[in-house]
Amino acid sequence: MSLEAPVVPAPPARPALQAKDYKSELKPIWCPGCGDYGVLQSLYRALAALGREPHEIAFISGIGCSSRIPGYTTAYGFNSVHGRALPIAQGVKLANPDLLVIVAGGDGDGFSIGGGHVAHAIRRNIDLTYLVMDNQVYGLTKGQLSPTSPRGLTTVTSPFGSLEEPINPLLYVLAYGAGFVAQATPADMPGMTSLIEEALRYPGFSFVNIQSPCVTFGEEDQQLRAHKARMKPLAGLGHDPGNQLRALDLARAYGTELYTGVFYRNPSPPPTYDALVRTRQSELARERRPRERVLDRFLKP
Amino acid sequence: MRREENVAATQGIEFARLSLREALDLAIAIEEEARDRYREFAEQLTAHHTAEAARFFEHMARIEEIHRSQLAERREALFPGERPQPMRERIFDVEAPEYDAARAFMSVREALEAALSGEEKAYAFFVRAIPLLESTEVRKLFGELRDEEVEHQDLVRAEIARLAGEPGGRDEAYSDDPVAQ
Repeated sequence: MSLEAPVVPAPPARPALQAKDYKSELKPIWCPGCGDYGVLQSLYRALAALGREPHEIAFISGIGCSSRIPGYTTAYGFNSVHGRALPIAQGVKLANPDLLVIVAGGDGDGFSIGGGHVAHAIRRNIDLTYLVMDNQVYGLTKGQLSPTSPRGLTTVTSPFGSLEEPINPLLYVLAYGAGFVAQATPADMPGMTSLIEEALRYPGFSFVNIQSPCVTFGEEDQQLRAHKARMKPLAGLGHDPGNQLRALDLARAYGTELYTGVFYRNPSPPPTYDALVRTRQSELARERRPRERVLDRFLKP
Repeated sequence: MRREENVAATQGIEFARLSLREALDLAIAIEEEARDRYREFAEQLTAHHTAEAARFFEHMARIEEIHRSQLAERREALFPGERPQPMRERIFDVEAPEYDAARAFMSVREALEAALSGEEKAYAFFVRAIPLLESTEVRKLFGELRDEEVEHQDLVRAEIARLAGEPGGRDEAYSDDPVAQ
């Protein structure tokens, strides 16, 4: 009888994942020319670069054109309720911290109906990536003002031009302390793919504002051709993504300048909420008491 | 201007060191990407009641598939059984028309113009890449592919000229502005 350990054949090497592995059978029904087609392609590629299996990923969305994204992937998905993608995503992440959780939606879903949730997701610093496809209009419901519509915009709900200032999504998330904030456009596919990948790799709440044009109700100066002409990559401007104050300053130009790239990346990411929960759970597990004794801690010695 | 856009449309490809096998893999990936884009356009336009342009894009998808399979056969003859290098993830819209080239209710003439933009981009890509190549045989291959793009452009331009008298403007296709429902 041999004392040597039996030779166990090594498992076959897993073939590298490709963008097509994340593409579902469901065909997108966005308008031809919609910016979201490019976003979806970038997302597939970023996921392939990351190398996470589809079953290790959960896409959570609200309601709107861009919120259809979960259905177009082979990952787990939940096309949820208008404005409620972030609370659901946080619950998913806490229930299964091993999942890569991606939240996708539009500017209306994120900053109007769901606006109140953004601040809390950021301050908790739950490890998820929020991709907002910002087209400055409600496209699915046929062209009403959205929270990022520029002042003066004429739509079916503002026939004489909007009187409101738009929300600035970049300034909003930076002000609440998001650890990773970037902006992209499908006019620069390689750049957008890299940014999405970087956001997915960031350990904590990460946010990418994607200027994804609405070809049916969007303005001419918001279309990809215009983006190509006026986008300014932050890397080319020598911006240091570790400089939060400078990021805030640059973010103020939302609506006038189209900066693309990383505005801010926290150089020392703090622990995530999900990591803190795990730590708390393991600490409490050490002090575990029998059920009949759980109230003892409230008794005076 | 277009040439620079095309250089930016590849990631992690060192043209100077490109071998013939890798160059063929890249060329196959370019045709495959264009084929898939035309298929997507055909599906999009079918879903949006733009049947004629959808049929044209289906036709383009078939042509790109013929180009892809010809290159694949050539590769297999030269490098039988050798695994392809993953090139598809490194290219962005080299020959494929960009996503915003499609529009609901677009005419066949506009669809042809979208295809022409793809052929022009591919031509510019090969023109730009050739001086960066060190291998003589890869230069020869890319020169061949560049010349094919010129032929394709001529074919598409001839078809556009044939349709010159027909309506083709996007605005003409809308009977009215989109309104709330």
